[in-house]
Amino acid sequence: MYEVLEDFAQTNNLRETSPGLKLFIGLASILLCVSSPGPVAPLLVAASMSAAVLALAKIPARFYAKLLLVPVSFAAMSIVVILFITGGGAVLLEVPGLPLAITADGANLALLLLARVFGGMCSLYFIALTTPMTEIFDLLRKLRVPAVLIDLAMLTYRFIFILIEEAGQIYRSQVMRLGYRRFRESVHSFGMLAGALFIRTWESGESLVLAMDARCYDGKLGIPSDSRPVSVPALAGGLLYLSAVLGVSVSTGGVVLV
Amino acid sequence: MHIMEGFLPSPWWEIWILVSLPFIVIGLYQLNKLVREKREALPLLAVAGAFVFVLSSLKLPSFNGSCSHPTGTGLGGILFGPCIAAVLGLIVLVFQAVFLAHGGITTLGANVFSMGIAGPAVAYLIYKAGTRAGANTYATVFIAAALADLVTYVVTSIQLALAFPGTTGFFGAFSAFAAVFAVTQVPLAIIEGAIIMLVFKYIVQLKPEILTRLNLLSESTVNKLREAAA
Repeated sequence: MYEVLEDFAQTNNLRETSPGLKLFIGLASILLCVSSPGPVAPLLVAASMSAAVLALAKIPARFYAKLLLVPVSFAAMSIVVILFITGGGAVLLEVPGLPLAITADGANLALLLLARVFGGMCSLYFIALTTPMTEIFDLLRKLRVPAVLIDLAMLTYRFIFILIEEAGQIYRSQVMRLGYRRFRESVHSFGMLAGALFIRTWESGESLVLAMDARCYDGKLGIPSDSRPVSVPALAGGLLYLSAVLGVSVSTGGVVLV
Repeated sequence: MHIMEGFLPSPWWEIWILVSLPFIVIGLYQLNKLVREKREALPLLAVAGAFVFVLSSLKLPSFNGSCSHPTGTGLGGILFGPCIAAVLGLIVLVFQAVFLAHGGITTLGANVFSMGIAGPAVAYLIYKAGTRAGANTYATVFIAAALADLVTYVVTSIQLALAFPGTTGFFGAFSAFAAVFAVTQVPLAIIEGAIIMLVFKYIVQLKPEILTRLNLLSESTVNKLREAAA
């Protein structure tokens, strides 16, 4: 999954667009979603970001749909609570036998949050699917983020892929040896997996130290960067889009759906 | 427990970013000092960060079949102390947000506080207290990791209840959020404690140098533990 995401980030149709512009549009959309008082603007962001991912970056629709389903269960739990604890307005639904009721205000708040979460998620996926991590590191360096933090992040990033591969191999061999049949066995096997993984990780970290020392590592990782200028039409389009969303957000602030 | 992007309204997401910021700054300062003294610390911290990322993206065996995952923060807190664990937590959470849309950018402050600061700090304090009192090492690790997981979810519930007090007020909202999360998180905390304990056991058996080098266990304790296992 991670490899596939990063593959798309490296090969999509927006690859050659300036990473700064893509990051700026994505982050500004997120901020607009969070600060929007009504659910219309976040839904507009969700729609336009999805359109950008599908039409401009040419990410397969089926893959994108699958991605969107991943975080849904995490959102659902908290939304349900908000739905029940927020009172006020007409009662829409009562749970028989329990002191629980859904009211109009609760439903509106839950809808607004759902719209914001959805808009934010689409914006995050827009960044994830169009901008490779390496270019984000490069941007962070230009923004004067402390070097030690960037180096640590880059090394962590590199190791994530190696570790996922290894965790998958250990997991598959454990499954083949019937390691996850009962609950007790599962906990034991998972602990074994995590322990083996940690030790292997540590050893590969130690050999990385050796390899880096052999190449005259002096506490700084120098990575050459290429800069792509921001094209004026792209910047204008981005700003136009953001101001349109802002306009919608302000003008539809009072709109409630229920 | 990640709070989703867009879930926390203004001003709460700004407040939590401000709350987390000093810990990150202290962590960066400690990190800079550590790297200047021992260059090999950087790659080793990086693999630890990657380990936390992978551990928290693996699915745990759980009772109800829900999609639950360990936080792995307890281990980071025990190994490196709470401030550096906060920096590792920040990196892991940014990756999870940008890779997986799991968590978010505006909710980063809140998530860093619950998973990167509160959890590891609790694990660290319990581990230190336990070793000083001479308690059983494995039991200490179990309690530290399980409580770190629990504290993470309690803090998340507090954050959500502060932002959405509803009509019942803060305490009513807090108990509602806590009750919903408790269904998955209490068994999960116990499982995470058991798993981190097993991880610790494997490290002691196979590569105890890691623990002695980080000044977590003295050589005599390691020898005692290995003899007890043999």
